[in-house]
Amino acid sequence: MHLDPRDRALLQQVQDDFPLDPRPYRVLGEVLGMPEREVMERLTDLSRRGVIRHIAPILEPGSLGISASTLVAMRVPKERMHEVAAIVNEYDGVSHNYRRDGDYNLWFTVAAAGEGELLDTLDEIIRRSMIPFRDVLNLPIARRFKLDVRFRFLAEEDDDGQD
Amino acid sequence: MMDRIDRELLRLTQDGIGIEERPFLHAATALGIGEEEVVARLQRLRQNGVVRRFGTRINPRKADFPANAMVVWSVPRDRIADIGAAMAESPDVTHCYERRTIPGRWEYNLYTVLHCRDREDALRRVAALSRATGAAEYRVLFSTEEFKQRPGGRIGPAAGPERGQ
Repeated sequence: MHLDPRDRALLQQVQDDFPLDPRPYRVLGEVLGMPEREVMERLTDLSRRGVIRHIAPILEPGSLGISASTLVAMRVPKERMHEVAAIVNEYDGVSHNYRRDGDYNLWFTVAAAGEGELLDTLDEIIRRSMIPFRDVLNLPIARRFKLDVRFRFLAEEDDDGQD
Repeated sequence: MMDRIDRELLRLTQDGIGIEERPFLHAATALGIGEEEVVARLQRLRQNGVVRRFGTRINPRKADFPANAMVVWSVPRDRIADIGAAMAESPDVTHCYERRTIPGRWEYNLYTVLHCRDREDALRRVAALSRATGAAEYRVLFSTEEFKQRPGGRIGPAAGPERGQ
């Protein structure tokens, strides 16, 4: 996916310091020295290409009454992977679901209002998936050190030169 | 921490604001308030932590970061606070959690996620984290298929019939 230097500068600014202003794209343009129209055209293009999923408030689950969350790993037979992944995806509490390398090959996160609800959801997923308990790892969070999904759009260019 | 208008505002914007000159106009009209108030409410929600940040949700795969590496580390209990804090400091790391182990089956207690340009780049960055922290026992689990990826926090579909607050 080609990102030109102006895309990169824009992505960095939109990610790091989106102006909460009635005319945010005009303010972004002022900061970056770009016309508002160019800001909007580039962002529209980046959205169309799928680089940007949304421009939105990222909410803190804890503030919304979601207090229990876990990461689950399953050993799923290759030929059942898509079937099981689809079952897992049905649940609203599941926000991330990935196939990964290794013998535990399906990894997903489940969150709920409380521990009881979380375990109920997990039990149901496991039962419907027909994956034996010995092939499931339930790995609840003990402590959060960091959750900050931001990227370095500008620094990457500099790194290139050094390798 | 949130009144009914705040909740509605987040519900209206959580799936993305428009890329148009006045992207908050839609929510303002729907809520019967001004755009200035919409913006002021979002600022307050960001300050008090309900909104962790306001900005883009990127698709790393399409933004030059296609390699998604989850690294599971097994570190000594008495060092996990220091090592976890050190890994969290690294700009390469987007997620860093301590998780409960399953004794005898799964002894990894620290989890980090890195988004990198390719696997080689990821492995190099993971090796650097290992050297910097002394955490030597780890496995790198690259994702090979994404089945679901959406924000962990969402406001439910309906605000329901008026319920006071």
